[in-house]
Parts: sequence; structure tokens; C-alpha cells
Amino acid sequence: MPPTPVIEVDHLNLKYGDFHAVKDLSFEVRPGELYALLGTNGAGKTSTLETVEGHRTPTSGTVRVFGHSPRDRAAVRPRMGIMLQESGFSPDLTVRESVGLIGRLTRRTDDVDRVIDVVELTGKAGTLVGQLSGGEKRRLDFATAVYGTPELIFLDEPTTGLDIQSRDDLWNAVDRLRENGSTVVLTTHYLEEAQQRADRIGLMHQGVFRREGTVSELTRTLPAVIKFTLAAPAPALPLQATAGADGSVRVETFNLQKDLYVLLGWAQDHGLELGDLSAGPTRLDDVFRAIES
Amino acid sequence: MLAIARTELIQIFRNRLVLVTSFIIPVAISVFFIYRHEVFAELATLGYIAAIVMFTVGAFGLYTSTVTTLASRRQNLFLKRLRSTAAGDAGILAGLVAPATIIALVQLTGILIAFGVVAGGPDNVFLLALAVLATVAMMIGLALATAGVTNSPEHAQVTTLPVSLGVIGVASWVGITGTENLELLKRLLPGGAATELMLNAWNGGVALTDSLLLLAPTLAWVVIAVSFARRMFRWEPRR
Repeated sequence: MPPTPVIEVDHLNLKYGDFHAVKDLSFEVRPGELYALLGTNGAGKTSTLETVEGHRTPTSGTVRVFGHSPRDRAAVRPRMGIMLQESGFSPDLTVRESVGLIGRLTRRTDDVDRVIDVVELTGKAGTLVGQLSGGEKRRLDFATAVYGTPELIFLDEPTTGLDIQSRDDLWNAVDRLRENGSTVVLTTHYLEEAQQRADRIGLMHQGVFRREGTVSELTRTLPAVIKFTLAAPAPALPLQATAGADGSVRVETFNLQKDLYVLLGWAQDHGLELGDLSAGPTRLDDVFRAIES
Repeated sequence: MLAIARTELIQIFRNRLVLVTSFIIPVAISVFFIYRHEVFAELATLGYIAAIVMFTVGAFGLYTSTVTTLASRRQNLFLKRLRSTAAGDAGILAGLVAPATIIALVQLTGILIAFGVVAGGPDNVFLLALAVLATVAMMIGLALATAGVTNSPEHAQVTTLPVSLGVIGVASWVGITGTENLELLKRLLPGGAATELMLNAWNGGVALTDSLLLLAPTLAWVVIAVSFARRMFRWEPRR
């Protein structure tokens, strides 16, 4: 018997006046997984996320988090941490006061200084939030989300504005939380982060799910591409190919290893050099572009 | 609620502009009224001075600072942040409003005691307390309603003017001219009945039951303002 989902979204619709932002969306998030909700600008992912967090009321459909309505804050919020897309801290409070306030209001228990240390803001604990840099504010936001090690964590664009070291630190902290069993829901514009980290991905475009699955399930739907140039006229290719506008040759394949082997053998047999040869598996951004087009 | 109220108090004392405009200036104006009470008593009565002091603190201290605070906390998404926790909406609002309310009550208590010492005490302290509490409740209700149509702290400088100047104007009109003429209109205007209640509490000469009836219009304003706020109050900035 599969475990009870942490999040259940069933035929969710969201409208803002005449604008239909989210259309008949259904998905589940299972315990312990990292689920990435990705999409083009205006795809409806933030509206979806905010509805699941309990910040918005669905126009129709149901959303359940831990079996409760997400708007039942007393039941749900002690078990979830939310990293908002924008800061939302008072500039006149210090880092320690901000973490202490939000932490206490989550009704989880933790050591404020420990949480501040996790995001490496110990040296700024007494600094007013208004004096922090953008990256430091994101780290503060993350600190309030993970206060008390919640069972479910929403990360909305968590690494925007962070330098590489801070990104690595944040993902290491997320890894530790997942080792403790936390479920993570992520939205990000950095597709490589989702590709590396997500167990499953929902790809949204214009308010609907266009694809959902693991990275390999999503990338399997599109062919990999082999690209090269030929300096001189050559005999017929052993594979179906198209000519690019820049004079390159493009081969699309669902069996990259086999077709690359065939192509290299053909070039060897005819003494041809394949210029600017590139070959690689389908990436998430290829799937993304296919959806956009 | 207490955690929010505590940090709200910290913010008030860290923001010198809010501290001066919303809390020190109303006290300074009140001190001026008390200092020159003989001049103002010739114009009306001592009860009028008590009423005008009450509305000065209520309008420029409590009401304006509450509207500005709520607009500011909404604009920088602090309200949304608080709603990301387990705290309920009523607890969040209570925590945000409590410090300014307590400061206003402490100010009014101190100012009215000082006024009583300087000019002679009120006729009925119980009625005086009721007048103050009803007025504070009305100003909080009006602040919640006004915050619903206020987009930013800067916008609050405009949106708070009608109520602030309105209640001061009504208090002066009722305090100076009494309610012999246009009695119903004066009592129905925001601050009118509360001013008359304060006049009765300080000057005396009116039956207690007649004075208590004056609570009704003030509390009706609380109900109207809160109803308006429930429909108009926004927790996030307009997008």
C-alpha cells in the first residue's frame, strides 16, 4: 500500500477575475520526496504553490496537506515551513528577533542561535534586517522555513540572489533535512538544480501541467541531439539527419549510444572528420523549451 | 499574539519618526491644552478640553499610527510572513494593534490625571473610563477600515486625514456648541456621542442612564468600521 501523500491537489482551478491562472490541476507529493514545480513565467506555479501553502483560496477543486485544508493554520503550519519568494521581514528587527518571532509563531521548538548558525548568519545575529544584503535576506528566509525541522518545507526560488557557496550550503542543509525525512516542494528558475535534486517534477505552462514525472521520464520524451559539421561532400549518412541553417548536421535520436557509435564508425570508414561534434542526453531545459514552443 | 506585540513595540521605539509623530506630538499638544486650560475653558468647558485631548491622542496617536503600521507591514510583506505561521488572523491583528493601543491608554490615563490635578477632577470617573474605552475601540475599528483602502505608509498620510480631522472637528463642534441644536446629527457623527459622554463625565449634571445611552452610537461606529474592514482589509499588496 503506497504511503499517504503529504499533499493532495485535486482538480484545482484558480481565477483572478476573467484570468484563469490554474486550470484543473491535480498532483500528489509523497512523503520524503523533493517535488519541483517548474514552469514558464506566468505558468501559474506561484499561484499553485501559494494555494497549497494556504495563502490563497481555490476557485474550485480541493487541496489537502497532511489530510487537512492548508487554510487550517493551527493544524497544518506547525508541520510546515515556508520560504517565501520575497523577503517579508521587518527592516527594524534584528536577525535574531526575526527568527525568534517567526519560529515561535510556527509553534515548533528549536534553538534560535543554532538555526542562525545553519545559514551562517551568526555574525549578523544582532544586525537589523534592513541592513542585510539580498542574499543574506534569502538565508534568513531559509532559516525561518527550516526552524524546528518541519516535516514539509516549501522553497520558492530559494537560491535566487545567492552566491555559489551559499547555494551549496543551502542545498547541503536541504539534504540534511531530507535525511531526517522532510518532504520538500521547490520552485526554481535554475533548471539544473531541479534536474540534480528533484525526485519528481511537474512542468506547468499556461496554467496546466504539460508533463509530470522523474527527470528521466521527462527527458525520455524528447530525442537527444548529435550535431556536427562536414568540411567536404560526404556519402549518404547512415542516420536520418537535418541540415541546420549554419551548415551543421543535426541528428535526433532516442538511442544516443548506439547511433553515436554508428555515426563515428561511418566517419571512420570514409575517412571523414566530424567538426564541432557535440552529443548529449536530453536536458530538462530541452523539455522546457519544447513545452514553450 | 504577545510575541507579535512585543516585536511591534520594539519597532515603534526603534523608528524615531513614528515615535515622534504618533506618540510625542499628541502628548505635546495635550500638554498645551492643559497648560492653557483657562483660555479653552472660557471658550467651552473643562469637559471639552478632556474630549479634545482624548481625540488628539486617539486620532493622531492611535488611529494614524495603526493605519500607517498596517499599511507598512502589508507593503513589506510582513503580514504575509506572519500568515505563513500558525498564528490566526485575529491574533496577528491584535498583536500589531496592541502596543499602540496600550500606549494610547497609558498616555490618556496620564494626561487626564494631570489635567484633573491641574484643573480639578472629573465628576464621574466611571463614565470617563467608559468614554475613553469606547473612543479607543472606535478609533481602532476606523483604523482597520482605513487600512483596507490604504496602499502604503505614504498613502496613509492622505487616507487618515478625513477621519483624524473629522473627529477633532466633531469633538470641537459638540464641545463648544453643545447638543441643544442638531442633537441627533451631532450624536450620529463619529466622535459626537463620545464627546458628549466625556462632557457629561467631566462636567456632570446629566443622569447616568442618559449618559450611558451615548455609548450606543460610538459602539455602532465600531461595528460599522469592523464590518467595512472585514470586507476591505487586504493582507498582501495589490499586484
